Amino acid sequence: MKTVDIVERIEGEAKLVCQWEKNKISDVRVEFLNFRGFEYILKGKAPLDALVYTPRICGICGQAHLKATVEALEQIYKNHNEELIITNKAKLLREVGLNIEIIDSHIKWFYMFIMPDVVKFSNNDYSEYKALKGKKWLEASACASEVIKVLAIIGGQWPHTSYMIPGGVVSDPTLLDLTTMQNYIDYGIKFFENNLVGMEIENYLSFNEAEDLYKVKADLKDFITLSFENGFEKIGKSYNRHLVLGSSLSFEEGKINKKLIKNIDFENIEELSLNTFNIDKSKNSKDAYTWSKSALYANNFYETGPLSRTLVQNRKFISSVHKHYKDSMFTRVMARMDELGFLLKKTKELIKRVDISEDSFIKPKISINEFKHGLAEVAVEACRGSLYHEVEIEDGKISKYDVITPTVWNLGPGIDGKLSTSQKAIIGTNSIEKAKLILRSFDVCSVCTTH
Amino acid sequence: MTSRECSKPKIVWLQAITCNGNTHSLLSANANRLKLFLDSFNLIYHPSLTTELLLEELLQQNEEIDFLLVEGAITSNKDFFQISNQTTSEVLKKLVLKSKYLIAVGSCASYGGVHKKFEQNSDIFGLEEALEKKEISSLFHPIINLTGCPVHPEWIFQTLFSLKEYKKIGLDEKGRPKEIYSHLAHHGCTRNEYFEWKVEAKSFGLKEGCLFYEQGCRGPMTHSNCNRVLWNDVNTKTRAGMPCIGCTEFDFPRDNMLETKKNIGIPDQVPIGVSKRAYLSLAGVAKTFKIERLHERIIK
Ligand code: SF4
Ligand code: SF4
Repeated sequence: MKTVDIVERIEGEAKLVCQWEKNKISDVRVEFLNFRGFEYILKGKAPLDALVYTPRICGICGQAHLKATVEALEQIYKNHNEELIITNKAKLLREVGLNIEIIDSHIKWFYMFIMPDVVKFSNNDYSEYKALKGKKWLEASACASEVIKVLAIIGGQWPHTSYMIPGGVVSDPTLLDLTTMQNYIDYGIKFFENNLVGMEIENYLSFNEAEDLYKVKADLKDFITLSFENGFEKIGKSYNRHLVLGSSLSFEEGKINKKLIKNIDFENIEELSLNTFNIDKSKNSKDAYTWSKSALYANNFYETGPLSRTLVQNRKFISSVHKHYKDSMFTRVMARMDELGFLLKKTKELIKRVDISEDSFIKPKISINEFKHGLAEVAVEACRGSLYHEVEIEDGKISKYDVITPTVWNLGPGIDGKLSTSQKAIIGTNSIEKAKLILRSFDVCSVCTTH
Repeated sequence: MTSRECSKPKIVWLQAITCNGNTHSLLSANANRLKLFLDSFNLIYHPSLTTELLLEELLQQNEEIDFLLVEGAITSNKDFFQISNQTTSEVLKKLVLKSKYLIAVGSCASYGGVHKKFEQNSDIFGLEEALEKKEISSLFHPIINLTGCPVHPEWIFQTLFSLKEYKKIGLDEKGRPKEIYSHLAHHGCTRNEYFEWKVEAKSFGLKEGCLFYEQGCRGPMTHSNCNRVLWNDVNTKTRAGMPCIGCTEFDFPRDNMLETKKNIGIPDQVPIGVSKRAYLSLAGVAKTFKIERLHERIIK
């Protein structure tokens, strides 16, 4: 038997094509049928204009794209021995902005995108989670809009600011701005404490073993209860291979394929398009069924995202949960919410480290348009996982721009008989509703996947 | 559904070729305003949110839609873009037939925006261009363009609440509500005094100076009220130090947005309605008054 389902509420749309055998999914294809052509759009543009374009690849993780672009352009300076000085202040303000976007996304994802559907698995009354109307939904939206102000103070607005620029950042916050930013984060911390975990953040962050799951209260407890009632800790397991390409003050790069290796070599990244449509229809391969490409590291599919980041960093609580429940749908959601707590605290610390007497921006001695040739590869951690940008400049204009988004790592098509991360996670599931939930536990963004 | 719920105007939010930025702009709105909006209208369909209906169900039902809000550009090219097995153009046309008002949310829905730059698909349009006259003849009101990349959530609220109350609003020649888009982004910018006295920002990363002369600021040429209705309640690009990139105008995105195009040292384009000659003489005079205060750091 074959079923075709359209999956909405994933930032765009995907098609889930399942083959069934004995009431279990025996094969699955995730089809992304939309393409916007950003890599083509960027060709021939002035390098600095990429700072305006790439955030518009995605309305949720635009700041991750911005940071990748700015770092790529700075890399081009560096490759010309024109290394720019980026002050600590600028570095901190960039990372604060990106972290805030991740925090905002995690809050919205749990309350607006996942829970309204998770509670449908229960017969109990969870109407407070109802989208648009429920008290919890509304409180979460209020929190997200409060926390995102931190980014608006340094970036002018969210979404879609281009406040990072080669040489630093455009803004120059005052001490009062920094204090206000911390206040907005405190609002987020209070929300985390009162609504999500039902205890002080310090207390939660001191958890170090899976048994601590039973201490969690409030809304996350609802998720844990619902998960164990429905066996979410048993479904959605994939290769259990993890990849973190970007490193920062908040995250460490590394990969886990049985054992943990802390360095990453971009040489090992490969992007393939055997199952991917071509913009020239006559060149379509007969196996093409999606606009997403496939991304491999050292010839293997890897998962990327909050779970992978937690494991590579070896943050105790989720690492222990992971030992028990592996890379299940349950662990994946828990890791994302755990990262919310981790980042709230971390980002507040980062703001405290900003020294306002430093420069925000130090002007590059030459314009990037003056480079005849330049090439750069960078990776940053976006809310959904590792984001990679590769930029090439020819005669002061962009000649090539390649983006591999987190969702391409997780949701791209399998290749050469090898299943991709999400395919592997879905196969074996016994209901389409669960399959959709597994798919969404990767925090799907079809917008990003096909860019 | 309670009877109260039934009497609320029905909104459908359709996503076409977009980055979903307008959705996230809306979800980042002031919480009280968002709640009032959700209490006053009945958002029966939004693809990213758990609403009652799925798109296919919506298309099949016969009920009237009061406000059809469209985020993203439209194409009839199914190879590049489809939703629920149809082109965005087909879906749009079916929904327009059931709707009273059609509102373009964001610059992509209005004019094609960033997505129109994907030239390999030559069939990308804003709503007005994507629809024929007769296809919109059943609408109560001309198409309303809420431009911006993304649109400010308050612009959506003000438009919807006004239409609910007064049935129509005045539009400019580009289909944008006059009361939002007659202002310039420049109005209310905290750098205006620097603009008046022609004091340019020495570089990015400073509170002092105007971004018009070097950094490409389009504030004086861009219709929007960004600096009056602040973003996220707290700030704007130009207040923070980022030049306005003119995201509410039909020609967005232009080339070289982060630098000012000049001709023999003079900005190629001058504020709307000002002749180059007038601008130049004024600039010359203004510059002769070297006001010390404006050349110093504000906080020393
Ligand atoms: S920075 Fe832009 S908006 Fe602000 S005063 Fe200067 S020209 Fe006007
Ligand atoms: S200030 Fe200019 S670029 Fe920024 S949102 Fe307003 S119109 Fe768009």
